[in-house]
Amino acid sequence: MTLTVKEELIKRSPLRILEKSISGGLGKGNIGVLASRKGVGKTACLVHIAADKLLQDKPIIHVSYASRVDHIITWYEDIFKEIAKKPKMKSTLDTFDELIRKRVIMNFKQDGARTEQVLRSLEAMIVHANFRAETVIVDGLDFAQAGPEDLRKFKDFAGRLGLEVWFSASLKKDDPLFDDRGIPFELKGYLDIVDVLISLQLHGDHVHFSLVKDHDRLAPKDLRLKLDPTTLLIAKDVRARAR
Amino acid sequence: MSTDIARMRNIGISAHIDSGKTTLTERILFYCKKIHKIHEVKGKDGVGATMDSMDLERERGITITSATTNVEWADHSINIIDTPGHVDFTIEVERSLRVLDSAILVLCSVGGVQSQTITVDRQLRRYNVPFIAFINKLDRVGANPFKVREQIADKLGHNAVLMQIPIGLESAFRGLVDLVTMKALYFDGPEGEDIRVEAIPAELAAEAAEKREEMLDAVSMHSDDLMEAVLEGRPTEELVRAAVRRGVVTRKLVPVFVGSAYRNKGIQPLLDAVVHYLPNPSEVENRAIDLDREGAERVLTDDASAKTVALAFKLEDGSYGQLTYIRIYQGSLRKGDELVNTRSGQKIKVGRLVRMHADTMAEIQEAGSGDIVALFGVECASGDTFCSPGLNLAMTAIYVPEPVISLAIEPVDKNASDRMAKALNRFTKEDPTFRTHVDPESNETIIQGMGELHLDVYVERMKREYRAEVKTGMPQVAYREAISQKVDFDYTHKKQTGGSGQYARIIGRLEPLGKGTYEFSNEVRGGRIPREFIPSCDKGFKAVMKKGQLIGFPVTGVRVVLTDGQYHPVDSSDIAFQTAAQGAFRQVYAMAKPQILEPIMKVSVEGPTEFAGNVFATISQRRGTIVSSVEDGTFSRVDAEVPLSEMFGYSMVLRSLTQGKAEFTMEFLKYGRVPPHIAELLMEQHLEKKKKESQK
Repeated sequence: MTLTVKEELIKRSPLRILEKSISGGLGKGNIGVLASRKGVGKTACLVHIAADKLLQDKPIIHVSYASRVDHIITWYEDIFKEIAKKPKMKSTLDTFDELIRKRVIMNFKQDGARTEQVLRSLEAMIVHANFRAETVIVDGLDFAQAGPEDLRKFKDFAGRLGLEVWFSASLKKDDPLFDDRGIPFELKGYLDIVDVLISLQLHGDHVHFSLVKDHDRLAPKDLRLKLDPTTLLIAKDVRARAR
Repeated sequence: MSTDIARMRNIGISAHIDSGKTTLTERILFYCKKIHKIHEVKGKDGVGATMDSMDLERERGITITSATTNVEWADHSINIIDTPGHVDFTIEVERSLRVLDSAILVLCSVGGVQSQTITVDRQLRRYNVPFIAFINKLDRVGANPFKVREQIADKLGHNAVLMQIPIGLESAFRGLVDLVTMKALYFDGPEGEDIRVEAIPAELAAEAAEKREEMLDAVSMHSDDLMEAVLEGRPTEELVRAAVRRGVVTRKLVPVFVGSAYRNKGIQPLLDAVVHYLPNPSEVENRAIDLDREGAERVLTDDASAKTVALAFKLEDGSYGQLTYIRIYQGSLRKGDELVNTRSGQKIKVGRLVRMHADTMAEIQEAGSGDIVALFGVECASGDTFCSPGLNLAMTAIYVPEPVISLAIEPVDKNASDRMAKALNRFTKEDPTFRTHVDPESNETIIQGMGELHLDVYVERMKREYRAEVKTGMPQVAYREAISQKVDFDYTHKKQTGGSGQYARIIGRLEPLGKGTYEFSNEVRGGRIPREFIPSCDKGFKAVMKKGQLIGFPVTGVRVVLTDGQYHPVDSSDIAFQTAAQGAFRQVYAMAKPQILEPIMKVSVEGPTEFAGNVFATISQRRGTIVSSVEDGTFSRVDAEVPLSEMFGYSMVLRSLTQGKAEFTMEFLKYGRVPPHIAELLMEQHLEKKKKESQK
């Protein structure tokens, strides 16, 4: 059987490498965290993860604590434009409008938004508005301010509604950021709640992904992925393979 | 009256619904001594604000038409247009913006930047209109002008700078500190008419100093002289004002003023700001289209001795007969002048020339470049340009959106019928987004517009102003049909039995057109179809596309490519080729996989966060897509895309669901495909209707 262009694109996505490395994916009821310093590319990665789901016709909710919604919308447009640059993809992406219909952006002001309220609104969206998302990405939550109890609430919520939830976590303390097992010092208190923890580090001009926690396993591992500096898409890291 | 162009201002007052525009305008009229008593919108005295000249507006507490008025402040002549806030009437806003040189953007100190503020800001940007901001309602619970200033910067992307800070807020709001003069201002007297200037209260001194520094930092970017003076520690009021003015005129700076129109606080300083910071007509470049030179653009001069160019931007049928509001862009206008309407070629003579105040007027002899005045007894449509004989210019066409909703109306008796015709004639001239026609099949009079409220208002006005009682049908969405697939055609029209015959054969294809409604492309070579019959084919296609075969709505998004054909030296004719085009289209239409399209509206719902869940549900029940939801503490906004056909009666639903605490706005976004199950339903209804009509 031949694959359609879209299926081919999904199959060849570097995100399949990520899934393979984390035992087939994040999984329902689980919490994944991408941790790095500010400006390394967490939002780009989250949007790529979301775009990959949208391409598979899976609805997603993008929760953001940033000040403006239009920036997020632009992120998605840019990422779909990059994907559309691949040969033969143009015709399929005439359905871009259709894909976007499966995405809802929910924006909360950090100082005003308590986690209970955020979860209440999320539940209203999923249950009352019947928007059956299975993946939620949460960008810009201030972990230090929210604390482990709040992340626990997210996890309980994810378990109850069968969601997988990806977070970004900004590391703000002074160096060193990581201990000898690659665990960010700032996130140690959250480790038992987080199912998958990936750190992003800038080495020279390229961003290096390492898997710090994979479900029950704590073993630092190079993911052989990089963030392409021009497209801001996650890509295979050829150099890593050579190493 | 001042005729010096440097002492003239043409300003608009733009805002989200309920930000207090009309209340503000009322105060401006009062302080400029145009009126002697203040009436509130929906006021207890039953008189209503002076600018809402129509009964209907008084009753509903909204402003529909933009009455223009002239006031004087500090020896300056200011023309004010009170623009409507509801999106259904944006044509009025857009038209006003076209003739204005600058604006005051009014924001509510509690609601801040709301969905309509964003729309209005976009319009100001489109027409390059400089503006200052006024944060109103500082006496309200939850007032926070600092947060609103931040929103103007964050959400609208403007370099917004506070020029004043409040003394006290909410019920303790007492006055303000002017950061340029560093003085405290209080507004005494029963109507705030006595301004008391004092030293800044001690407890505010530090804050005022800090905010002044911020202001000077931002403003000095627009003047080297000021920057130098700031560094030397002695910036003068004149230097600061000149720099702010430069920033405003180039749209690089938005000075922010604060107050409460309702409590009569902060209005006179705002008027001073209009005079200090907003441009006079000569500082704004205006361009016209030269109709004699294939539409080349031409910059107009404000020279009073130049030939006259003026734009009719609004018609009104009032108690004084027909009034035409015009803006003079070049030259001047005198009683007895002769002008040409460049659209119709008609000559007119300037009769009575008046300057308008909301409901009264003053006769004048002459008006100069940059001014806004009204003419009596001139036959024209809004958007027409008038020039001195010998000039053939048109002011840039004002963008007019296509109507998205229609309503059948039927007069109750013969008298009503005549009056209705008169009313419709007037309304269509006044408002290009309001249209009317008689459906040839049902013989019903159909009115079309931009939304339910838009049409409601006109039906009401027919009753009140023209005593034309009409029955209305169900609102009907303006659907479209479009093809989704390329298809070839080869069609012969032949009728050669006795008498003069008809013969035409055309070959080509129909292609879906991504954007645009219709394109005709002729690729016939070697005279296979004589040149004179090519336009006949074009005409035939256009005619047949007026009613699609699916549900009888116009077919759009089609490119017709004519590649080949045949003709008969005697029997081919214009009509034969027109008929062939129609036949060809009908024959292959179904093979081009036609679809039904419906108008999709951009809907914004704003209200307390506690109702966000309910709002989500109402959108999803209406086949809507939620694009985003923004929660900012207790306030939330949901942006969605919803088919217009599902939005009928939404205001009622929303009101009862949120105890009237949420409000929504909507505007046309795009045409989108109707889902298959609904398309089928529409086709069934169309068949049924046709059956009934044929039985008649």
